[in-house]
Amino acid sequence: MSESLKIGIPRALLYHRYKTLWRTFFESLGCEVIVSSATTQETYKQGSALAIDEACLSLKIFLGHVNELVGKCDYIFIPGINNYGRGRDVCSRYAALYDIAENAFKNSGQRFLGASIDVIEGITEEDALKSVIMTVGFNERQAKEAYRIAKKEYEKEKKAAVAAQAQLLKQQGTKILVAAHSYVFDDDFMGKGITDYLKKNGITVIRADVIDHEEGRKLSKKLSPTCRWELNREILGGIEKYRNYVSGIILVSTFPCGTDAMVNELLVRRLGKMPVLTLVLDGQTGTAGLETRLESFLDIIHFKEAGK
Amino acid sequence: MKYTERKVAFPRYAEYNAALKYLLENGLGVSCIVPPPLSDRTLKLGAKYSPDFVCTPFKITLGSMIEALESGANTLLMAYGICKLGYYGELQEQILRDLGYDFDFINLEVYNTGKKKAFIDMAKAVNPRVNMPKCTAVFFEALNMGAHLDEITAEYYQNCGFAADRHAYQAIYKNFISEMYSANSALQIGHAYREARRAMLEQKIEKPANPLRVGITGDFYTAVDAFSNANVEQRLADMGVEVHRWINVTNRMLRYPGEKNLNIKIKDYCRYEMGPNSTANIWATKDYAERGFDGVLHVKAAACTPEIDIMPVLQNISRDYKMPVLYLTYDSQTSDVGLVTRLEAFYDMIAMRKKVFR
Repeated sequence: MSESLKIGIPRALLYHRYKTLWRTFFESLGCEVIVSSATTQETYKQGSALAIDEACLSLKIFLGHVNELVGKCDYIFIPGINNYGRGRDVCSRYAALYDIAENAFKNSGQRFLGASIDVIEGITEEDALKSVIMTVGFNERQAKEAYRIAKKEYEKEKKAAVAAQAQLLKQQGTKILVAAHSYVFDDDFMGKGITDYLKKNGITVIRADVIDHEEGRKLSKKLSPTCRWELNREILGGIEKYRNYVSGIILVSTFPCGTDAMVNELLVRRLGKMPVLTLVLDGQTGTAGLETRLESFLDIIHFKEAGK
Repeated sequence: MKYTERKVAFPRYAEYNAALKYLLENGLGVSCIVPPPLSDRTLKLGAKYSPDFVCTPFKITLGSMIEALESGANTLLMAYGICKLGYYGELQEQILRDLGYDFDFINLEVYNTGKKKAFIDMAKAVNPRVNMPKCTAVFFEALNMGAHLDEITAEYYQNCGFAADRHAYQAIYKNFISEMYSANSALQIGHAYREARRAMLEQKIEKPANPLRVGITGDFYTAVDAFSNANVEQRLADMGVEVHRWINVTNRMLRYPGEKNLNIKIKDYCRYEMGPNSTANIWATKDYAERGFDGVLHVKAAACTPEIDIMPVLQNISRDYKMPVLYLTYDSQTSDVGLVTRLEAFYDMIAMRKKVFR
């Protein structure tokens, strides 16, 4: 290929989990990767106009990011996930993402690259990524090599994050566990306001989703034996692992996330005496309401600590 | 609790309660309590103790479980399934325990391992001394009852709007349903089914050559359960519409052509499986469009993720085939005025279109 292929990746949903894997994969094949810019109010506005009213905030933001990329790249990469194996499902929205985007941008002329990870049907992450790149002219050997390099980078990054968090756990002072999907936590428009506020007030923020995935899945069984949603299970496992190190837990979800609505309800009922704050984010830009709630939560925690 | 003392109940779902009751009593050898018919009270009870934005069937089934416990049940049975349904059981049990109820809970999701013996494990959870060969035979009789229920129900809604004597026609249907609830043998089921068929055929149906036809799609609970969808099929039929609904237990479970085989027919609109019932609903909508239906109702519970996700696809089908689709979302509100207004407007619109395009 004379000119390098431009692959667009929306900075939303699973991007935050797999960014290193995906970027390295495409870049090691010589593709140019264009990631949409950080989420703003405008991203949300654009996405809302494209989405069904009842869809969740995260999907609206996702469509806003796709919208930003339309017309700027050869392909927009939207991988879907059906399952990671038996008893390892995800929210059905991940399976539907590709078709939602394609139907929403039907007349734009934009081409999309999709794949569906369905381990029960024998399609692993590697198969899915390989099939994606082979449809645009690379051969199997190139795809395999690129996947090997990317996976290695991804594992390295994951391990480093878990190790860094282990250091944070040793710190003195008040620690709070934030349980949120990575696409909420890492998003400028969603989770950033919360973590910024906590850090400003001298709190060490621990992430529930930063945990070895297999360990997380195993530990999740203690809190909720029949939960099958992979991403929720990792967070459940993180809560189980870190709950004894922290003074309080903040459960952050987006409106109206169905899996979080159920899992968080169960958590509130099962976490016992641990102070828990449940925050549901919608598209509002004002931070006063959020800060009031965080402030009173911190007050409770500080009172509790003082009383010990 | 000893299995002999068990009084098993399950949340209500359309009229399939009759088949489940039949299976529990005749196949599994336990006594069964069918909770009272779903009502506004059921929904209010369920909504009161449920998380706010969980899907509506969660609230209705929770309410129905509470009513089952009030009716004297001591063992609750909860189904397993893909989508959020698989998680209903664990959370509902927790909520009921926190409310202080005392009961045995059999969450079939726990046994949903995908192994061949999963069904045996499920049966043994209900009754450890179950006679498996007998239970299997009764299971197929219960499935057969489900198929009869679906067939008679489909026949009823396609014709009831045109029956010369609507009350008599409805009485035949209602009578058939109550016969299913009291049936104790395969013979009784077969007899009641044949009687109902014969009686329905004897009724005079005054249908025009080219009647208004509307298809119903939607999520597996709300589209199928008359209480959950505020009786939308009957209301539409009463306006003089032939109402078709592909989605029911028989079509989805027994006669399902398989995800891949169905997906071929909709590949212009959708490349992957979008959710548990998505392929079926997209296909059904396209099929109604190709068969020249006058419109489709998309009937779904609030917060039903897979159904929300197929709406962009249905919008494209609607546009390409120039067939109106009305999207109805059912939340925990109990007034039906809004629904009636929308249905009437939809009816007026498709009736006018029919006059213009005929």
